[in-house]
Amino acid sequence: MKSKKQAVTQQKVSFKVYMKRYWQLYALLALPLLYLLIFKYVPMVYIQIAFKKYSIVESIWKLPLADNHGFEYFIKAFKNKDFLLALRNTVGLNLLDLVIGFPAPIIFALILNELCFKRFKKVVQTIAYMPHFLSWVIIYGLALQLFAPSTGFVNMILNNLGMESIPFLNESHHWVATYAGLGVWQNFGWGSIVYLAAIAGISPELYEAASVDGAGRFKKMWHITLPGIKPTIVVLLVMNLGSILGSNFDRPYALQNKLVMDVANVISTYVYKVGIKGLQFSLTTAVGLFQSVVGVFFLLMANWIARKLGERGIW
Amino acid sequence: MKKKVLSILLAGAMVMSMTACGGDSGNAGSSEAGSSNAGSGQSSAAGGSAEAEGNGSSELVDGKFAETRSITVEVYDRGNDGGSDPTNNMYTEYIKKGMLEDHNVAVEFVAVPRWTEVEQINNLLAGKTAPDICVTYDYPTIQTYANMGGVLDLAPYIENNKADLPNLWDWLGETNLYWDRDPATGTVWGIEAKLATSNRINTFVRQDWLDKLNMEAPTTRQEFEDMLHAFKDNAELLLGADADKMVPYSVSYDVGWRAATLIESFIDPDISDKEYYVNGFDDRKLTQEGTKEAVRLLNKWYNEGLMWKDFALYGSGDTTEDDMLKAGYVGAFTHNWDYPFRNGEDSINASLQRIAGEDAQFVAIDCFEDKNGTHTKFVPGPIDRKIFFPSTNDEPLASMLYLDWISDPEHIEYLQIGDEGVTHNVLEDGAVETIAATGDAIQNSGMNIDYTITCNGLKLADEEKTIKSTAHSYAGIDPAVVENANAIAQTDMKVGKNVNVGTIESEEGMGPVLSEKRDIVYDTAMSASEADFDAVWDQALEDYMNAGGQAIMEERKEKWEAAFGDADMLP
Repeated sequence: MKSKKQAVTQQKVSFKVYMKRYWQLYALLALPLLYLLIFKYVPMVYIQIAFKKYSIVESIWKLPLADNHGFEYFIKAFKNKDFLLALRNTVGLNLLDLVIGFPAPIIFALILNELCFKRFKKVVQTIAYMPHFLSWVIIYGLALQLFAPSTGFVNMILNNLGMESIPFLNESHHWVATYAGLGVWQNFGWGSIVYLAAIAGISPELYEAASVDGAGRFKKMWHITLPGIKPTIVVLLVMNLGSILGSNFDRPYALQNKLVMDVANVISTYVYKVGIKGLQFSLTTAVGLFQSVVGVFFLLMANWIARKLGERGIW
Repeated sequence: MKKKVLSILLAGAMVMSMTACGGDSGNAGSSEAGSSNAGSGQSSAAGGSAEAEGNGSSELVDGKFAETRSITVEVYDRGNDGGSDPTNNMYTEYIKKGMLEDHNVAVEFVAVPRWTEVEQINNLLAGKTAPDICVTYDYPTIQTYANMGGVLDLAPYIENNKADLPNLWDWLGETNLYWDRDPATGTVWGIEAKLATSNRINTFVRQDWLDKLNMEAPTTRQEFEDMLHAFKDNAELLLGADADKMVPYSVSYDVGWRAATLIESFIDPDISDKEYYVNGFDDRKLTQEGTKEAVRLLNKWYNEGLMWKDFALYGSGDTTEDDMLKAGYVGAFTHNWDYPFRNGEDSINASLQRIAGEDAQFVAIDCFEDKNGTHTKFVPGPIDRKIFFPSTNDEPLASMLYLDWISDPEHIEYLQIGDEGVTHNVLEDGAVETIAATGDAIQNSGMNIDYTITCNGLKLADEEKTIKSTAHSYAGIDPAVVENANAIAQTDMKVGKNVNVGTIESEEGMGPVLSEKRDIVYDTAMSASEADFDAVWDQALEDYMNAGGQAIMEERKEKWEAAFGDADMLP
């Protein structure tokens, strides 16, 4: 009894000491937490719009429940051909991004790491980062200048060589390729930063030892560098899988046009057009909620698999 | 230890978030109560003014409020080069001063981007920060918000304050004020502004190219096609080194609008009111009988290389096509009846003359004959923008007075033509000639239509002067060219009638989705290969129908039959 009390007081004392020593660090945490609270948690109150008949003038707490025990809008969404198409396109485009876009920065980081001219490496790195800072509207402008069927630079060259224009932007299949390609172009440089940092953290002694054992460049890459950055790869892969159903808005919206809507309409652009422009707030909140729930499910599953495979996962 | 602190922090965060939610709900509740109070206050005010019917509102003395009221008014921001701040310039000062003097009402303007107006107004309405007087071209938006209880019913104000609103009643009349009145309940959610001129679209052609090729302006569809071929075949002669940039006939992604003269020539000019109405949800005439054949012809031209290959890649508000017109690469196009004359120094014709030479200009032609040999122009009724008051408007009477003030013929005239010597000259015959203004006097929109929200088109106090002045109302444009375009736009004009059979419920919220699908039908079909045309059109149209087009047509048919029985024409 006594000892327990002592322990508690001791704990209290050590907590005080601990806080006195580290309070600044926790103070630093306050602002990001506040941000999450205001912009991520409070808005969640409005998730209930998905289950209710929305009206701008009523308080959301007083809105009547939608039909079918509140699930009317979910049923409506899954009966809607456009939504199903958008769902298919979202998954398809994101998988494509994952297959093409995910390995690109890893490969780039590995190659960059092998360069021995420091200055050249810096220049290449800087140039590769740059597209990340361009907005998609600007990238679409560039794409038009390069790929438009009659005024695009690439097609003008093809025409002058006596070849037909390639419909990079105005035919569905080509558009998907252009979409993926531009995505890789914008992100591989920036994405490689994390991997380069991870590579920098690998002990040089390992490489030296491998050299002594007679390992060549590829052997070192395969047996030292790649295993060294594997935890990073797994974490990023898990996070990528979590967003397989999510999609940023500006990229598909800026790149799409009326001729390729069958492959270009994704959930985010669908929600914008039907929800914000068409004023069907409940329907699109339901769609958004569905998207998030499936996203969380994917994230948990990917994390679980990663842990099963002996990696650390993200938590 | 660290874990413990972290968990305390997280728990704290959760508690805070919950209280925040609670606080939020409390606020929402109280603001709700507040707004309902305001609502009852309004209705009692309306009741009060109802007693004073006939003598105007009891709140007003000589048309003025005893205490200064303030209202906010929406104004489009067109973001044009060299324009002024749409919320603060010479013309807004004129309005603010006048409203304060005449009615003791202080006016503030709220800018809304022109090309994303519907989205922006939605955001403002949802955020309860919409201006007291809102303007939109999109009636379904008003209807949707009215259904949610977010819009004021204007009927009591229009009727009870008739004595205070002489100019509004004079200018808009029963036709426009009650255009959208619900036949069953009598509610009026929006007032329709009036078109001073019903002119809609024209097709334009490069006169100097015709001259160079010794050709007459085309008078039939076939001659138009031959002309396009002649342009293409003589590209070297007409454009020299830029020959490969030539576009004989330019149409944007909005095919239904930008080829409307051609499309309308395929529609039966004697079409019944009923059929026109049933297919009338879409003003691009997608489902009208004949449209498919018109697009088939466009498809043929497209595949023969007579049209712009990149048309679908540039969205609404993009200036690429205008730049092509100005640079002189385009032979013919279809657009608003006065499109190449608009914007003074920056107009398409003025820019074209600077780049392609003095004699280069677009003139209107009338070459698409319909099956009767006439050139029917289907134009909508004399309605323009729709004005509505959101339910957050707690100064409905002051807002109505604003609409009255802005409909005063003298105020319209000043806003349209400005000061003599600055924005216009008076010619010998009394006609007013618009001149390119500079600095603060620049009008952000043609004839300031963004301020004259109840009126679109030149309307001077003197009617005769208006007619004389129309041709002179485009700075730097030859009046003869304008007169010609005006005459062509009015040839065989068929003005739409008001079919008011109540709300079509299946239209609610479908506008943006169906507009996009309509464009998809037009765009994919026009650019398909000739062999695939039927398949592409049919499939895309089926998608349009299934997405809501069919339901709307059926409901329109049903409601027509409920209102007019077997009649095919309006009484």
